[in-house]
Amino acid sequence: MELAATIRGVTYRFASVKELLGRANPPKSGDDLAGVSARSAVERVAARAALADLTLAQLRAHPVVPYEDDEVTRVVEDDLDAAAYKAVAHLSVGQFREWLLDGATTGATLHAVAPGLTPEMAAAVCKLMSNLDLMTVAAKCEVVVRANTTLGLAGRLSSRVQPNHPSDDIDGILASAREGLSYGCGDAVIGVNPATDTPASTAAILTALDGVCRKHAIPTQHCVLSHVTVQMKALALGCPMDLMFQSVAGTEDANRAFGVSVALLDEAWAMMKAQGTAAGPNVMYFETGQGSALSSAAHHGADQLTVEARCYGLARRYRPFLVNTVVGFIGPEYLEDGPQITRAALEDHFMGKLLGLPMGCDACFTYHARMSQDELESVKVLLGAAGCTYLMSLPVGDDIMLNYQSTSFHDIPSVRRLLGKRPTPEFDAWCEAKGITKNGAPGPRFGDATVVA
Amino acid sequence: MSRPVHASVTRALVADLRHRLGAADPAPPRLALPPVVAPPARVYVARRPSLAPGAGSDHTTALLGIGHVGTRYATDVVLQFQAELAVAHEAVAAVLDDGWAADHGFLPLRSRVADHREYLLRPDLGRRLAPDSLARLQASAARDVDVQLILADGLSAGAAMAAGPALYQATADACRARGLTVGSPVCATFARVWLEDEIGAEVRAQVAIILLGERPGLGTGDGLSAYLVYQPALGKTDGDRNMMSNLHARGTPPEEAAPRLAALAHAMIAQRTSGVGLDLDRVEVAVERGYRAPQVRARLVDTGGRP
Repeated sequence: MELAATIRGVTYRFASVKELLGRANPPKSGDDLAGVSARSAVERVAARAALADLTLAQLRAHPVVPYEDDEVTRVVEDDLDAAAYKAVAHLSVGQFREWLLDGATTGATLHAVAPGLTPEMAAAVCKLMSNLDLMTVAAKCEVVVRANTTLGLAGRLSSRVQPNHPSDDIDGILASAREGLSYGCGDAVIGVNPATDTPASTAAILTALDGVCRKHAIPTQHCVLSHVTVQMKALALGCPMDLMFQSVAGTEDANRAFGVSVALLDEAWAMMKAQGTAAGPNVMYFETGQGSALSSAAHHGADQLTVEARCYGLARRYRPFLVNTVVGFIGPEYLEDGPQITRAALEDHFMGKLLGLPMGCDACFTYHARMSQDELESVKVLLGAAGCTYLMSLPVGDDIMLNYQSTSFHDIPSVRRLLGKRPTPEFDAWCEAKGITKNGAPGPRFGDATVVA
Repeated sequence: MSRPVHASVTRALVADLRHRLGAADPAPPRLALPPVVAPPARVYVARRPSLAPGAGSDHTTALLGIGHVGTRYATDVVLQFQAELAVAHEAVAAVLDDGWAADHGFLPLRSRVADHREYLLRPDLGRRLAPDSLARLQASAARDVDVQLILADGLSAGAAMAAGPALYQATADACRARGLTVGSPVCATFARVWLEDEIGAEVRAQVAIILLGERPGLGTGDGLSAYLVYQPALGKTDGDRNMMSNLHARGTPPEEAAPRLAALAHAMIAQRTSGVGLDLDRVEVAVERGYRAPQVRARLVDTGGRP
């Protein structure tokens, strides 16, 4: 298998599929840091030309981390749907791109093919696509999941209320949660990142959130995003828990740095199916983000886009209710500025949807990245137009505990109004009944937190 | 040959097309514009429903009860937000003065990073000591200690300089009160969390604790985070560490953080592990949460009496 392409008489050769995937990636500071990016703009195009000629079967045969060395590769390979794979295995990556964009290829077809795709295939085709290509295909994918409510239906844009607090003050958390609900946010989940990672505090926050949801019959889910082992202990204490969360990475070594493994996640999932409080069947929540493997030197020489796709290959094993990339959170050493963060948000959403996940996005930046608030607001609209399942929502987009800028309680209804989207059907009906919205527009109790006092 | 002056050719074609399609003129009939009634000079005062007793708005600095204009912010909220954003960006740009560490009784150390942009883009360099700093550490730091404390700039040199010495001292005192020995005071510039591995290994500490400025938040830049690792050595990962974040007045103040950090260090030595292996249920720490002032978010833009 020769990996080469010639541009204006100069032939560019690539030593491996992994190297080719890295060189074909659009510019990312994290790939520069890893030393895997193209050394010139022309070499990048040459890599894409060579990549376009590889078949999906060749990509399956050359995962960026070998089967013998990595349990994420093994999960992907062992769980792959043979019939779905066989249907597209013969396509080159270039042909695969065209097939995805073809108007005759429907969302239902993409959903059927998803279990036969490996992460490397999703990453490879992603590198041949422009931002608008990524949005066009992602918008076709409809991934519907259910915990208590039904997420991912066409014409819907959901949100997580993220009422974090730097000292886990329950009253402070609930004050933010109530405010978010009054703006029609929180239909995906009310999810708290705790400042203190203990079973007792996790249980205390969940119990408080559960009280609000029960009192006002709010059709949604709750979750506290502590480490999975802490949540398992909290669940053993007998607290309510609709969704179980964990950050996941795209290689076994990077997951070890997160303190997780496939065996541990299997155990957590089994425990959640038995003891979780949501109706299901989808009860898991995962977060990802380009660069996390490199940050623990566990990327195995692969580019961060491909490693990110492998997170989704692992996540889909657990039929999750929520998966989102926290795209701008990791910092400028991986995604340096507005264009890189924007591109990564659309890439991750596309790859997640293509691999069959109910993909959301935390469209965000840290204050040490070079991205403006205007650029961030644009990303939210792009994601909404691409059919993103859910965004985050916080007071003025400001996370007072994790210290970064995300989506605000005001942004969610703004994007919904612009794009003609509504919350989940169950939550939509609740908002209308409470007067938070009226026919989808702001209603008499919009922004009035006493509606859930 | 001059073109016939027949600008109406296209118009005639389009009229014929519409006629054949049986379609009417697609432009809507011109409507009379409504008279503009001068809007009142209204200020969109923040609705504060969350001020109801027990509603919790004095328990958080989150911007709540700010109301809305349509689905967007009032002008005052926009201006406050932009001012807070500017403050955060200024905090990131600050740099720890070279002489500051020595003036405050710390052994000054530097990572392999040369300047601030390199610090942001090259975490690998921020995790290792510069050769001359390594030599200085080897020459003058105490070895075989239970706990090595490290103060560092991280992403907010301002926080390290303002709040660092007090937290450092309180934590050292709390460790000694538990009978633990504490290493020489060191302060590192352009430091990442994992720099504690090399420093801790070099002085053969049982536990390394790095206290460093955390990413500034909106309108703030005064927070520290602490990361602890048992038997520090190059190659330790995040799963090997325990951490406390938001060490500032709105989160965990120093008088609560210091005994907790000492208790964690003590537990790591007792359990011979850290990170996900540490059983936090067995970490005993007696911290009475005393009176806490109401949480208030400072207004940055003085609008001269305008609400």
